[in-house]
Amino acid sequence: MENINKSFFGVKVLKDVQFRLNEGEVHVVLGENGAGKSTLIKILSGAYTLDSGKVFIEGKEIDMTSYSPETASRLGIATIYQNFHLVPHLTVAENISLSDFPVKRRKIDWRAVQKKAKDVLDNIHCTIDPNTLVKKLSISQQQMLEIAIALSKSAKIIIMDEPTAALSKKEIETLFELIADIKKRKVGIIYISHKLEEIKAIGDSITVLRDGRNVGTIVAKDIDLNEIVNLMIGKEMKAFEKEKLHIISKPIIEFKSLCRKGYFENISFHVSKGEVVGLTGLVGAGKTELARAIFGIDRLDMGQYFFNNREVKIRNPKEAIQYGIGYLPEDRDMSGLCLNMPVKDNITLVYLAKLSKKIFGIPTEKVLAQKYIDQLKIKTTGLYQQVKYLSGGNKQKVIFAKWLAAHCQFLVLDEPTIGIDVGAREEIYNLIFDFVRSEGRAVLFISSDISEILSVSDRILIMSQGKLIADLDPGATTKQEVMALCLNPT
Amino acid sequence: MSKSHMKKVGNVNQNVSNENQQNRSVLNIIQYFYQMQSISMLFILIIMWVVLSLLSPYFFTVNNLFEITLQSAVIALIAAGESFVIFSGGIDLSVGSIFAFSAIVGGIALQFTGSVIISLMASIGAGLFAGFCNGLAIIKLKIPPFVATLGMMGIARGLALILCNGIPIYGLPQEYLWIGQGRIAGIVPVPTIIVIVLFTIMYFILRNTRFGRFTYAIGSNPEATRLSGVNVSSVTLGIFMICGMFAAIAAVIESARLGTMQPASGNGYELLAIGSVFIGGASIYGGEGNIFASLIGALLVTTIRNGLNILGVSAFYQYVVNGLIIIFAVAADQIRRKY
Repeated sequence: MENINKSFFGVKVLKDVQFRLNEGEVHVVLGENGAGKSTLIKILSGAYTLDSGKVFIEGKEIDMTSYSPETASRLGIATIYQNFHLVPHLTVAENISLSDFPVKRRKIDWRAVQKKAKDVLDNIHCTIDPNTLVKKLSISQQQMLEIAIALSKSAKIIIMDEPTAALSKKEIETLFELIADIKKRKVGIIYISHKLEEIKAIGDSITVLRDGRNVGTIVAKDIDLNEIVNLMIGKEMKAFEKEKLHIISKPIIEFKSLCRKGYFENISFHVSKGEVVGLTGLVGAGKTELARAIFGIDRLDMGQYFFNNREVKIRNPKEAIQYGIGYLPEDRDMSGLCLNMPVKDNITLVYLAKLSKKIFGIPTEKVLAQKYIDQLKIKTTGLYQQVKYLSGGNKQKVIFAKWLAAHCQFLVLDEPTIGIDVGAREEIYNLIFDFVRSEGRAVLFISSDISEILSVSDRILIMSQGKLIADLDPGATTKQEVMALCLNPT
Repeated sequence: MSKSHMKKVGNVNQNVSNENQQNRSVLNIIQYFYQMQSISMLFILIIMWVVLSLLSPYFFTVNNLFEITLQSAVIALIAAGESFVIFSGGIDLSVGSIFAFSAIVGGIALQFTGSVIISLMASIGAGLFAGFCNGLAIIKLKIPPFVATLGMMGIARGLALILCNGIPIYGLPQEYLWIGQGRIAGIVPVPTIIVIVLFTIMYFILRNTRFGRFTYAIGSNPEATRLSGVNVSSVTLGIFMICGMFAAIAAVIESARLGTMQPASGNGYELLAIGSVFIGGASIYGGEGNIFASLIGALLVTTIRNGLNILGVSAFYQYVVNGLIIIFAVAADQIRRKY
């Protein structure tokens, strides 16, 4: 791939990216969130079209104007996504033949289906019974099956997006054996992962993307962690500096050994009044799951909460709200807003839900909503504009206003600046600082953007594989150190 | 980050906001028309009256016009309850059966006690109870409203037939008949008054109470509403109870008007009521709608039926027309959603 350019809504995501995959090679793509990894892959698999650039496969230039997922699969490019493209209610054999069933006298030739399934599975030395339903397979088996199907369609390039994210140690070993086997058949593999041991174990070469640029392609054999981290982060100045307050006040909320099986375990920390605590970690580290449990959405298996030094029980969001806890979800549109309702109704929703005794209470809401529209400078045509017409930053402000209107004391913000442009981000940061400055309130700020975490937080917590592994002072740490901890917890 | 890059970002923002403004003005116009939906329906209604009175000398008579308001009173009241359900993103298919069930329960109470008040309370209680069961099935058994109320459609109809052994109840006292046949000041039919009063109250509830607000919020985004601390389950329960109650009130009015309680009554009324709400411009995805628009919808549906009757079109065709009404009303919503 040469000089690949791609921009979304006027923002350049990929800038002149060069990428070269040799046959029989495992090529690892690394980069921070938003560096452009998935965009690159999606261009290759046909999900996105590119703005400019050329793609060559086996020396021949590919016409990218009419490129689509169908063309990709015809050219032998298969993508194994984290969520599978299998039909769970059909058997393994049926899934293998799904795109072209063998037909005999206008009926499906079931014997040929069985034979094909056996061939395909034998090809990768896989011992799954072709007659089991796909939904009964383990995740690793489903992954094997996907790879087997890709190979049966004579794939020449296989793209794997974090394939080991949901696998156990033993399953990862089997997967690696399979990859080693595939390599011998002159298939090229593009492998996306954050786990450094893995990259060392199976990678042949590594390409690091940063801000949509290819900042280096190196041989995997002789890599060292610091070198990679430096490549991923580069040298950049801190974009945003916050005045640091030294907090010696009492904790507003304290968590003791929170545990939810399969997601996180033994999480203990506290947040003091007036403090912004940053929580970071890689995708899948359990940050969002922790936030949801704190807010009472998902049930905990174990753990205690102390709110203002008093033990409390939080079983659902309603109870969390009664204690003054608020939550800005990661997916604003899906779980944060009533999109086809007016700005006013969204701002006052929590406030109204909290007034448990009064039936009426709507008459005062206009004043309340207007107050927060002015205070947070929400750009809207008025109280009655539907929220779906607002920009991402203004939508986020509406959610913020919703919690301010309900006199929330402790806010959990899950990726509050995702999909929000630079200018609006700063406004959101200022909202957060204003929030904690008054009346001893506090914020838990979750983000996978490390520079953001460093500049916003008073204290940084790092999660990895469901565990809390570090508690750092942002003044005494560097982006490199945080990134290294995220990547390599030991 | 270099200065030139910052500049670029700034420009992009400006472009986006310009585009937004343009979009906004177009959207404003669409929104304007959208809010006018009920008014444009009112126009269609008037045009239909004019056409029908030209086609038939019987249409534009005082008797027939009162007939329409009386007939539409029943559908309008069911549609009022159905409005709550549809605004909250659900659907209630059981209203026609709850209608018959609560009529028969009231009739039996009347036969046993002879008291009109007790009979009315029994009817409304039966409607509330059936709605409560619907709500319970939805929030506790996690059944989608479509399926839960489809089940109740069969259950309530069956219970109505079982309770009276399939035999209609006759011989209602004069006070009961007054509810359906009486005139205030000798002109305005009692059911018309009931409709106006109840619709005004419900309009107020939807606009000015927390319950009303939560009804729309659940319809708009149940997950966000739950995460805002609203007890979605109890609101849903209340919504379905209101819907059942309105089916019962409508049943009382029809029984009083016809002087009998029929276990087979209300058949197909769910179609008319749901159609009325959609004609009024409610979204099938919930979160939007105005209860007075549902009233206009009910008037329109009844006028079409009445017109077909007067023109001598067979009752069999009326089912076809009812079905078409729902399809076109929802199609209009889908088209509106696109732009």
